[in-house]
Amino acid sequence: MSSQSQVLENFVKRLLASLDETNPQELAKVLQLVNPTSCKIIVNSTPFAQPGAFLELWQSSVVQTQHVITGMDYHVIPGTGTLICSMSGKVRFDESGRDKTGMDAVVPGAAGNTGTTGAGPSAKPRPLWGPYFGVSLQLVLDDRVLANDFNAVMSSLNYTMVYAPDDSLMDL
Amino acid sequence: MNGTFQVANNVGFMAQQAALQNRVKVGVRGWQNATKQDLINFVSRKTRIAICDSYVEGELVVGYVNSRQDASSLLNWNGVRFAGNALRFEIIAEGNGMSNISGIPGTSNTIQLLKSFLFRRYNVQTRMLDLGNLKNDPELMSNGLFSSTSTQSKMFPALMKLASRESQLVVESVNLSNNSLRDVNGISSLAQTFPRLKNLCLANNQISRFRSLEVWKGKFKELRELLMANNPVVTDPMYKTEILRLFPKLVVLDSILLRDEAKLQSVYSIPTKIQQFFFETNELGQSSIDFVSNFLNLWDSDRAQLMGLYTPQSQFSVSVDSSVPSSSVPNADQNPSLSFYLSLSRNLTKISSEKTKLMRLATGQEAIDRLFRSLPKTKHLLQEQPLNYSVEAWSYPQVQGFIISLHGFFDEIEKPELDANKAVSSTAGRSRRFNHSHSNTTSKLGKKSFDRTWIIVPNQGHVVIASDLLTVRPYADGSWSKPTDTLPTSTLQAMPGQPASETPAPTLTPSVASGVPTSQIQLPPEIQAKMTPLQLDILNRLHNQTKLNAEYTYMLAEQSGWNFDVAIKGFQNSVQNIPQGAFL
Repeated sequence: MSSQSQVLENFVKRLLASLDETNPQELAKVLQLVNPTSCKIIVNSTPFAQPGAFLELWQSSVVQTQHVITGMDYHVIPGTGTLICSMSGKVRFDESGRDKTGMDAVVPGAAGNTGTTGAGPSAKPRPLWGPYFGVSLQLVLDDRVLANDFNAVMSSLNYTMVYAPDDSLMDL
Repeated sequence: MNGTFQVANNVGFMAQQAALQNRVKVGVRGWQNATKQDLINFVSRKTRIAICDSYVEGELVVGYVNSRQDASSLLNWNGVRFAGNALRFEIIAEGNGMSNISGIPGTSNTIQLLKSFLFRRYNVQTRMLDLGNLKNDPELMSNGLFSSTSTQSKMFPALMKLASRESQLVVESVNLSNNSLRDVNGISSLAQTFPRLKNLCLANNQISRFRSLEVWKGKFKELRELLMANNPVVTDPMYKTEILRLFPKLVVLDSILLRDEAKLQSVYSIPTKIQQFFFETNELGQSSIDFVSNFLNLWDSDRAQLMGLYTPQSQFSVSVDSSVPSSSVPNADQNPSLSFYLSLSRNLTKISSEKTKLMRLATGQEAIDRLFRSLPKTKHLLQEQPLNYSVEAWSYPQVQGFIISLHGFFDEIEKPELDANKAVSSTAGRSRRFNHSHSNTTSKLGKKSFDRTWIIVPNQGHVVIASDLLTVRPYADGSWSKPTDTLPTSTLQAMPGQPASETPAPTLTPSVASGVPTSQIQLPPEIQAKMTPLQLDILNRLHNQTKLNAEYTYMLAEQSGWNFDVAIKGFQNSVQNIPQGAFL
């Protein structure tokens, strides 16, 4: 028996875990959580008309991430069938210079050996985690999420990086 | 010749002391039974104040302390016993600037010399500081600044110190070729002075080992191009690999393209550039900023006045995120005091008891008011420091309203009106075990960062807060408020159209004041629980305008599809046919 807030925490964990995936198929699982008719997505104050557009950008232009939840609270809004969840946490980035597919920016052959580039899935290099950034996340979800129904429950997501370490290689 | 030599010594002196403009010359008497070094060691051990560059002058030991403050605290130690005698401390000369701290003539002269040298070697157009071939510079040579290896090694840090003080030196490129460098130890301070350097030339030196470059690992994060030609190290088979490792954003090495710049940028950037504001529509922008500034004004001055914005269904809770940000986050509070909030915190990742989860959610004005009064009194600096706040606002169709999310900080100025710890301990015995750890002496007031999310249901100048979620966390500078090099903060603040800095338009103030409904409609709780804040709001307004009783107000609202205007029209059309008993 898990309580409603644990179910909600599981939902947020699943959402963030999907965002932390490097495999596009795993990342696409976010779409199953999203309300297909309308889902407002705002990331660092940038809105996305389509969840797909956001996921595509996240897959192609953001390196591997690792999220940690450090705080969560929610209110069920009576009469609306929805709830608002506010979460705080932290995120760090793979600062090894490789993207989600393991490709780095080194020009092939330039380093004298090609070993640094595209070593292939068998020798997948480990991520080099940078320092943590602070994250504040607000979600509007259908209240059936509390009954363990995660299917298409999310109707808005606001993701904001609230603090940034100055020794990170990442440009915000 | 003697004079030249003196100047040369000054370079070394200055290199060590360039930062110590405020040094104060002090003297110590009464130390006769010991050596000077014993005395200096004793003073440093006893008073924790270091006297440097000391020398004996008659019966005095003369030296320098770092600041006027150190000097005056040293005076407090007058009479301390050392080697059988009482010591006397005295201030001989207070320094302000280099020229009068030492009595050695020519120090300020040397600074002037190096300064003019810096500006002569700086090119404004290319933003390049050319420090190549220093030992053959005629001006430096004629002043004897390169008369010995020791002055040479001190010369560079001194130059760097001076350069970092000159704000008009915007340096993107540095040339250090032809300086007979064997390693970069002597020039390592380059990374502190110009951390955002883009191009560096070290060609024609004697650098032979990577190890010496290791001091720059993780520094120069913007370094794009490096020239190392004609150094022994370039023949090492690991040369390129090692350089790539040391400088993660290096693109060009010795004129050869090593990294794909576009790819590099995409790897090290987050495509959604962080911005201070997001509003789904322009109107939402203005009203959100009005709401936030008015709300926080009252939150800081008189929280009871906010009660009119909350209904019996409104919910408020506080969640404490006690995770401490990394020390490399600008101004992050590494030792936060969150004890005022912890006993109120509804951080659901930390609470396991269902009862506690329920208890820490305030529903309705009375509970919300009590929770408000249990939080420290605050001051938000939205007007004074608008750059430290970030707002997003977007619609929430299910409540026909919107969400405002605010990130920023506040100052705690006074302890809470209600002591939450006491209130809890009277209700439950188990909280007694917290008594000693929650003593009020450990609760200190300070600066906190926060995220606050309101669900707002507006209706014709009237606003209701359906939900209010506050996260309190240790203070850290906002990621969006990073000062840019090109735009100083003052210009940003003076910029027109900076929404948060505008004096708030009073559009919401009257509604906050008049937000207290004249008379609340009395509904059976089971019906009330099923209604949205918007529906409740319509009911209340219909109730006040038509003076119908609860049952008929509800019927009217339902028949008109929960549209206030339709309902009023229907009421006016059929007012004759409504039985007298339907009115209050």
